[in-house]
Formats: sequence, structure tokens, C-alpha cells
Amino acid sequence: MTTLTSSRYPPSLNGTPVNPKLFDGYSPHPSAWDELFGRTGEPYAHCSTLVERLGRLSTTEFHTRRSNADLAFVNQGITFSVYSDRRGTEKIFPFDLIPRTIPAAEWTNLEAGLIQRIKVLNLFLDDVYHDQRILKEGVIPTELVLGSKGFRKEMIGFSPPGGVYIHICGTDLIRDSEGHFLVLEDNGRTPSGVSYVLENRAVMKRVFPQLFHDIRVTRVEDYPHRLRDALSSVAPASANPQPYVVVLSPGQYNSAYFEHSYLARHMGVELVFGPDLFVHENVVYLKTTRGPQRVDVIYRRLDDDFLDPEAFRADSLLGVPGLFRAYRAGNVTLANAVGTGVADDKAIYPYVEEMTRFYLGEEPILKNVPTYICARPDDYAYTLEHLDELVVKPVAESGGYGMLMGPSSTATQRAEFAAKIRENPRDYIAQPVVTLSTCPTWTDEGTAPRHVDLRPYIISGKTTWVLPGGLTRTALVKGSLVVNSSQGGGSKDTWVLENG
Amino acid sequence: MISRVAEHCFWMARYLERAENTARVLEVNHTMLLDFHVPVDQQWKPLLIISGIHDYSQEPTADNVQEYMTWDQENPFSIISSLAWARENARIIREVISAEMWERMNYYHLWMQGTTGRQAYDANRSEFYSQVRRINQLVHGIADTTMSHGEAWEFFKLGTNLERASQTARIMDVKYHTLLPRVEDIGTPVDNAHWVAILMSCSGYEPFHKKARLATLEPGTAVAEFLIYDEQFPRSIRRCLWESEAASTAAAGNVVGRVPTEAEQMIADLVGWLDRQTIHDMIRDGLHESLTHVVDTVHDIGGAIHRTFFAGEVHPPSAMPTSMKQTQTLGGMTQTQA
Repeated sequence: MTTLTSSRYPPSLNGTPVNPKLFDGYSPHPSAWDELFGRTGEPYAHCSTLVERLGRLSTTEFHTRRSNADLAFVNQGITFSVYSDRRGTEKIFPFDLIPRTIPAAEWTNLEAGLIQRIKVLNLFLDDVYHDQRILKEGVIPTELVLGSKGFRKEMIGFSPPGGVYIHICGTDLIRDSEGHFLVLEDNGRTPSGVSYVLENRAVMKRVFPQLFHDIRVTRVEDYPHRLRDALSSVAPASANPQPYVVVLSPGQYNSAYFEHSYLARHMGVELVFGPDLFVHENVVYLKTTRGPQRVDVIYRRLDDDFLDPEAFRADSLLGVPGLFRAYRAGNVTLANAVGTGVADDKAIYPYVEEMTRFYLGEEPILKNVPTYICARPDDYAYTLEHLDELVVKPVAESGGYGMLMGPSSTATQRAEFAAKIRENPRDYIAQPVVTLSTCPTWTDEGTAPRHVDLRPYIISGKTTWVLPGGLTRTALVKGSLVVNSSQGGGSKDTWVLENG
Repeated sequence: MISRVAEHCFWMARYLERAENTARVLEVNHTMLLDFHVPVDQQWKPLLIISGIHDYSQEPTADNVQEYMTWDQENPFSIISSLAWARENARIIREVISAEMWERMNYYHLWMQGTTGRQAYDANRSEFYSQVRRINQLVHGIADTTMSHGEAWEFFKLGTNLERASQTARIMDVKYHTLLPRVEDIGTPVDNAHWVAILMSCSGYEPFHKKARLATLEPGTAVAEFLIYDEQFPRSIRRCLWESEAASTAAAGNVVGRVPTEAEQMIADLVGWLDRQTIHDMIRDGLHESLTHVVDTVHDIGGAIHRTFFAGEVHPPSAMPTSMKQTQTLGGMTQTQA
């Protein structure tokens, strides 16, 4: 069970109780960009009201509100399961009450960049599974694409309903020490975390109602309806007049089960497991107490491999036999489409800027982090020589697993990685360490800077919409650059300021 | 609704009801023993027997049995297990039940798993059992006012009433296991006190005394008649079966001319079996045997409900699953049908 403890209060320095204000003595990171405070130590103009209002709170008051917020998460069961525990221990995703802000003008630019990027990725997928123009013209090495773990030859020649491949994308952005946003990676398979954006906002509104009164924050609550509308808009031609949409979850022991349930509830659709569905004459049906119900659109939170034991992994008990047949017959929409993993492959990522010029004839609005692709001889040599300065990532992993953080690594770890890279250069990329921006965060040592990233969510149906803000993930350990929840990160509410 | 979801809803209700009834029977036994001297081996063992636990290896002392039936996570009939399973079923179908229902079930699950529940148990046993009883009552109240009264609601009622019918039969059967069936014992103060205790454990004490006709019967017969046959009391077996019948009919769809489902047919048969006899017939043939018949048949009805609603047999033959299990599995763990 989750326990709520904090060692912080009441503190006592040389026997005298002290109760400073929230930002008293806050000292920004020496080199990182701070999300609230400028180099002068003063808050930016767009968040001065926020800092002033929150800054009135004493640390004791703040701590009380924090406990209330944690209790709200526990009582509502807003938790994720820890895989290693058979009994299914549930934990709350640590939540920090100090929001991260983005001024309106900056957001407008980010939004345009994200929309441009998803358009490019979608065009890329359509091309890869049809004419392969980008390969024929030598913009991206053919073997890099066809050899990607995310590439599905079964998708060749097939167009998903509405032509949309990535219906839901979570693009991870970071801000470098100069304050520029960069794309760290695209998540175009089954990105998670959006339920925390929505729940974080709900809890913030409960804990700090007055702040929302004083500061205009762009709403995020429309996400489930936007998602439902987008999914319905790309239902197959033969669908029910009101397309029947379901969320397909791997089951109640999946770590993101809360989110699957949350989205189903808020979209007002059924949450189903693989065994609840069956395929009859290439049409997907749901088993109900009153007989079969035809299903038109499946928002699946299940990887390609597990979707259909007939088409992919034969040992999958989570999937639906025949689902891919029904999909290819054009009788059901899968969101996201099968085979999108080739677009968010970390070895393809470095080519997205080039793709943008190739498909749109435009300059990319959002830049990538410079990346060394170990499949390229020059980059391969550079990476092996500079392991102690680089972050090395396996291309097919997500969740922050299997990375080498060069500067903090041991010689043994570097040797292990060098061996792995020599064995399979295709499987690795390397990037210089970017000092992620920081945001004031409540810690056991008081308010201190912690590194953050940002995952906006982009929904594409007939049109594309970006959830204002997104999930701000925060490393809770001092100095850590790893923000993934699976690696002990927390989250913050992200405020796109309407008047910022 | 999705068959699997209906099944979780049904079981969520059963586990909630089971937790309440376990608390009822522990509470009444706890209280009753304060007044009467019952041989030690008869004090707590019947509580295990009526839950179908025959392999209890400890000494059945008051503390051991209460501990086992309240806190033992390995015991599928304990209060803590029942509440954990009710909550787990609820977690899986959060999109079907109301947020308030979920929050209360989650809250009391955490209460049991943490230190506060234990403190309440140690501080005041009767109050603790009352609190556990109130959990189910609270969730039912919340469900009544916040959950849509659609199909899921019918499965919730079906699970509640079926489990309750079985629990009432079990609670009555404590009597059989507590006193040796000697003719001389009938009508003694201890005998009557036991009947009163059983009435109270079913919250039937006051409603029973409002039935003037029952005063003309010998106390044991009167209580048995009330708990089996009363048409209005919500915990009487007949009333629970009627409610189950109505819920299963509503769940299957109220269509004129529809052929009754196997589940409806079996419930109707059990009601018919009750109606064809009187309490005097039952006592003559052996109350224990009759109650056992009720418990066994309710178990079989559970199987029929599974086949009718959950196993997917209403689907086209090409897609019909082959399994027809009596117990349901949940991620490798088995839901126990008592």
C-alpha cells in the first residue's frame, strides 16, 4: 500500500522552528534553463503572478496541500502497478504541485511544429508502406527502414481508414540550456501518460482553486472528447452510423491500466480485453450479455506483436485471433495503425528533419537533438571514441530502459556498451548530453531545481489537434536527467498561459 | 454489456455481501457468547463449517477464528480477502460503476490493508464488525443513487441477492452445528437464545417481532419460517430468490414471449421447491438438509448464470468459447464461489 510520509516538517534549525516561504532561498541550477526564474533570479514576466501567489505560501502550508493532493490520488486509486510485485502493489505517480508554465506565444510555435512533424511522420509511413519514394531517392538508407523492428511487411500496400497512421502521438520535447525546445523522441505506437495530465489538472484545481481564478490557464479537459471524435472520424466506411469505439487494454495487471480505464470512462466507450472480442467473417465483434456487438474502431493499448496471434506472435493470449485480417479487409480501424513503430524508431528519428524537407518542402519548425547513428561508419567511430560524453540509447526501447549515461558511467559499463554497439551497430544511437531545463520542485531539502521534459499529445483524425501543454515529467533525484516514471520520475501540471 | 464486465459486476456484489455477512456472523457470535455458556468446541467452530472450511488446522479459539475469518489474506472467505476481491473487481470495471462507489471500496480496502482497520479491531470488536457491515450498506446506498440502473445494476443486484440467500441459509445452519440434536434441548433457554442470536445476525430481530402470527409458533420454528419464507424481509431466502429472479430476468431483457434462460429457470425451480412445502415439512425432513439443498442449488445457479451470461454462449456458434468453468479466473487467481 502507498504510504504518505515526508521527513521535512517540522524542521528545527538550532532549536528554532522556522517556516520559510515556498521560494525563499531557491537557487536555480547553475547552467540549466529554469522554467520559472530568469538568469537574474527574478521570475519571467509571464509567470510572475504565479510565483507571487505561490510564493505567499509558507512551506508548512504548501506541505499540507501536498499531502491533501497525495491523499486524493490514493483514495481515487490513481495509481500504476509495479510489475515486479505479484500481488500487484500499486503506487501513485509522484506529483509535484509547482506547475511548469509555457507562455502562449511560445506554445503557438510549438503547436505548429508538432502539427508539422506529425504530418511528416504520417506521410513517411504512407510512403514506406506504398511507393517507398524516400528510399528510392536515397534520403534514408533502405536497410535502416526495412530492418527496423517496427517495420511490418504485412502493412505493405494497405491504406488504413482515413489514411491516418498515428492517431495519438506523444512527442518528447526538452529545453536546452539556451531555452530552445528540441525533440528528443517521437512516441508513435502507444504513448501513455495523458491521464496524468488530466488528473493532475483536476487535483491542482481542487488544491489551488484561487490560482485558476487569478491566472488564465488553457483547458486540457477536452482531450477525451477530442480523441473520441478523432477516432470516430476515421471509422471504416462500413461502420455503424454512430461508430462503435472501444479501448483495448492488455488487462488489469498492465501498469497503465488506470489510464486505459480512465480514457474509456471519459470517452464514454467500453473498455475491453482481447478475449472480449472475436472476429467472424472478417468483422470484429464484442461479446456482450445480449449477443455480439460489431466494433468499428479500436483504440488499442497493446503492441503490434500481441494484437493478433494469427498474424503476429502466436503465443499472445492478449490479442484477438483474426483481428489483422479484419483490419486488412477494411472492416475496423486500429489506432494507432499497425507498423507505426518504424516512424518512432530512434535510428529513423535523426532523418525526420530531412523528411520534412523531402515531403513538405519546408524547414522543420522543431529541431532534433544532434544524433550519431551507429549504423553510419563515421558516427559509429565517433560514438565508440566518445562514450564518456554521450548518451547511448537502444533504438527499439522506450521508457528509459537500457541506456548508457556516458558522463556518469563506469569504465565497465562503457566497455559493456562498446561490445554491444560493435555487435549490433544498427541497434544504437548516441546523443550529446543535453542539460535539460529545470523547474522549481518541492523536495526533502525544500524547493530546489529538478530537470524536466515535456510530452505533448497530438491527436489526428480528419484533422489534427494538440493538447495544450502536455505531461511535464520531472526527475526527482538531484542532478538526474532521467524523468521516466518507470525510473522513479514524477510529474507536474503544465500550464499554457493564455495571456503569457 | 460486455460479458466479462457483467461477471466482474456480479462478483463485486457477491464479495461485498460476503464481507458483510462474515462480519454479521462474527459479531453475533462474539456478543452471544458473552451471555451463554456454550462448550468451548461449539463456540467458534461452526463459523468455519458454514463457510465450508473443514481443514482449519489451528485450535478454534475465539481469537484464532476471528483472526482467521477477518484478517487472513490466504483465506478466501475472510473479510479482508472479500473486500480486496470486491475492490479488485471494481477496479477492473471502473468505467461501469460510479466514481463514488469505486472511491469508497478503494478507501475501505486501504483501511483494511493499513493500520487503521487493525486499530479499530483491537479497540472495539463489535464496533469494528458494525463498521464492516456498513461498508456494503454504504456502497449499496451510493450505487442506488449514483450508478445507472441499467444492465450492470441488474448484475449487481443479482450477485447481492444470490450471495445473501446462500449466506442466510449458512447462518441458520450454524444452529445445526452448534447444538447436538437432542430432543431434550429444544425449547431450553439456550436454544431460544441461539435463535435470537441468529435472527440478530440477519438484522431480523425487530421485523420478526412485528409478525404477530409467528408468536403462535414454537420459537425455533417461527424464526426458521421467518428467515426462509418471509415475503417482505430483504434477507429471507425466499425474498432474496425473488429479487434474484427479477434481476436475472431484467438482465436477460424483458421481452414478451422470450424463452426463460437456464439461470431464470433454475431460480424459479428453487422458489417452487420452497413453495411446495411448509416450515413444518422442512423441520420434519431435517432443517440442515433443506438448508444444504439451498446452498448447493444456489451454487449451481451460479454456474447457470455463468453459462447464460458470462461464457459467451449467446454468440454465433463459430465463436463460442468451450470453457464452462464453475469458478472464474482473474489473471491466474480464482474467484471462489462458496
